[in-house]
Amino acid sequence: MTAALTPLTAAPSPTQPLSASQVKDHLSLIAEMTLVFSESHSFETVAKSALERITKHVGAEAASLFMLDDQGQVLVCTACYGPVDITGMKIASTAGIVGRAVQQQEAQIVRDVREDSDFGAMVDAKTGFVTKSILVAPLTVGRERLGAIEVINKLEGDQLFSANDLALLHTLSRAAALAINNLRLADRLVQQERERHELELASEIQRDLLPQPSAKDFPIHGINVPARAVSGDFYDILSLPDGRIWFNIADVSGKGMNAALLMAKTSSLFRCLAKSSEHPGQLLNAINNELCETNSHGMFVTMVGGLFDPATGVVRLTNAGHEPPLLFDIARESFMSIPADGPPLGIAVGIAGPDGFPVSDIDLNGGTLYIFTDGLTEATTFGGGMLGIDGVRALIRDHAEETPDLRIKNISGAVKLPGKSLHDDLTLLIVEDSGTHSKRPEPALPDLTTSAGVVLRLRVPARADRLKMVRTAADQAAGYCGCDSAWTLDLVMAVDEACQNIIRHAYAGQPEVGDIVLDFVREGDSLSVLLMDFAPPVDLAKIKSRDLADVRPGGLGVHLIKSVTDDARFLPPPPGVGNLFKLTKRLPTKVQ
Amino acid sequence: MTIEVSDVNGTAVVALSGDVDLQTSPAVRQKLLACLETSKRLVADLGAVSYIDSSGVASLVEAFQVSRKKGAYFALASVSPAAMRVLSLARLDKVFTIHPDVTAATAAQG
Repeated sequence: MTAALTPLTAAPSPTQPLSASQVKDHLSLIAEMTLVFSESHSFETVAKSALERITKHVGAEAASLFMLDDQGQVLVCTACYGPVDITGMKIASTAGIVGRAVQQQEAQIVRDVREDSDFGAMVDAKTGFVTKSILVAPLTVGRERLGAIEVINKLEGDQLFSANDLALLHTLSRAAALAINNLRLADRLVQQERERHELELASEIQRDLLPQPSAKDFPIHGINVPARAVSGDFYDILSLPDGRIWFNIADVSGKGMNAALLMAKTSSLFRCLAKSSEHPGQLLNAINNELCETNSHGMFVTMVGGLFDPATGVVRLTNAGHEPPLLFDIARESFMSIPADGPPLGIAVGIAGPDGFPVSDIDLNGGTLYIFTDGLTEATTFGGGMLGIDGVRALIRDHAEETPDLRIKNISGAVKLPGKSLHDDLTLLIVEDSGTHSKRPEPALPDLTTSAGVVLRLRVPARADRLKMVRTAADQAAGYCGCDSAWTLDLVMAVDEACQNIIRHAYAGQPEVGDIVLDFVREGDSLSVLLMDFAPPVDLAKIKSRDLADVRPGGLGVHLIKSVTDDARFLPPPPGVGNLFKLTKRLPTKVQ
Repeated sequence: MTIEVSDVNGTAVVALSGDVDLQTSPAVRQKLLACLETSKRLVADLGAVSYIDSSGVASLVEAFQVSRKKGAYFALASVSPAAMRVLSLARLDKVFTIHPDVTAATAAQG
């Protein structure tokens, strides 16, 4: 039969008065156990000896401790004492008399298990043990159920568990519950400390992935200020043996550890692949395809990658979905924004086409290129608003006179409010051109007042129907210099495309179509063509080299010009001339 | 520059001759796109092209793109050396379907 259930909230009143020595016994056990539980750092080892003491004290045969798993579905025997070891045994959290005690949160006395329909004989069947009577007290902390302590088979006296036994077990179970709870809290602290330490290590390793601060006179400088311990931003600077310098800056979508891991992968790919590449567009294409092969969590990376040649001041730049870099000309106090031509990396294999991401050759011409992540543009200012691109421009202007190492510190420091962390990672990279180029001296301005070296001078209206005449003239000039037909065709093509640009861009939207003046000049081993128009200065960004992967009409001309000449550039126009464009093509060896 | 259109066994053949440049390419573009309106198969014969510039190439690219959208066949035939030089500089020689002559281009399935 089942004994009267004793509610947990009210301690059961002993049915028999305890003798003085029994009270002393009980109290000393409770005191001893409370001390053991409070000092214990490993519950399982202590629990076993506690169960032994309880069993002996109550005069029972066995005892076991069942703990609920994290989902509250299963009770696991974490410690036991008695003739059979059932440590590790699992039962459903609703099964048996233990389950009933846990579910109802009430202590149970079952004097004869055969009379209790909840008794599960399965454990006995498995172990050979014979359960006769059971005493169970639930373990709780506040309202949280932890499990239960079970004492089995009273051996002494009338072999019936008493209310005194229940009261004792109840008191001990409370001490045990508190001890378990303390241990769990301590475990959690240890876990947190371990995670914090791991994050610190990750942060350290990540900092090591960034390049060392550049020497003061190095043309490229960068800084990364993470918003949290780890960053989704990065930059890299990598010198090639021939003096050119690879650089990149990137922003991984999202923050935290997953972004940091993708950042580590992307930066490693860049560093590894850049060493054997000379083409930023193809490099980013390779990184994109690698990322797509393994990235399946919808994360992506925006990146600006470039190869800077300090000897020429030219940057080969490609932009995969990143904030547009700014080219600042300190002398003119002017900015040029270089927008993204390609999509971000990691979205789809081959997204940029077979020729890779679009590339622009940008002549820094003594200016400085500023590349940054949105942590800068979206930073909060002292006034509380967002810095924005105008704010970035103002900061660049304010700090333009400083040395580059100081400048990156001051610009990034200007948006880091004291005592507050950034809400996004901030990375800033600057590429500074000295303006003095050994490889490519600025060609002397042509003296248009003389005809020294001039093979042919031609003035034609800037109209499409005159282009055939211009081509004929170019063909004749090349023929005059003794050039073969293949060489001549290339020159004709370059001159034709350059004239088209004047017609289509320089004079576009002008009320009156002006003229083009062409000078074909023999200069040493080269033939140069000076093309002059009388239109307002053109916006160079509009006629930059086209992305060949982007199969689209238009924009091909500049690419053709660059492909077939040795040099092609705008020069400062002499007075009265709108734009001066100069093509130079080395003559074939046999006629030099 | 002249443009001649003929029909070879259900394939429209646009034969260009002379210089395809900024002045003449608009007419070339118009003719190629008009053929794609009425024919599912188009061949541009560049055998007699003495010069083609970026605007002429752009017309070919546009015809190529329209043909793809429509699921039509578009190929170049007997591309002259001058035209081939520009196509290869623009790296379009791998993009276009190019046949050595009009017979091969019109006979090809695609």
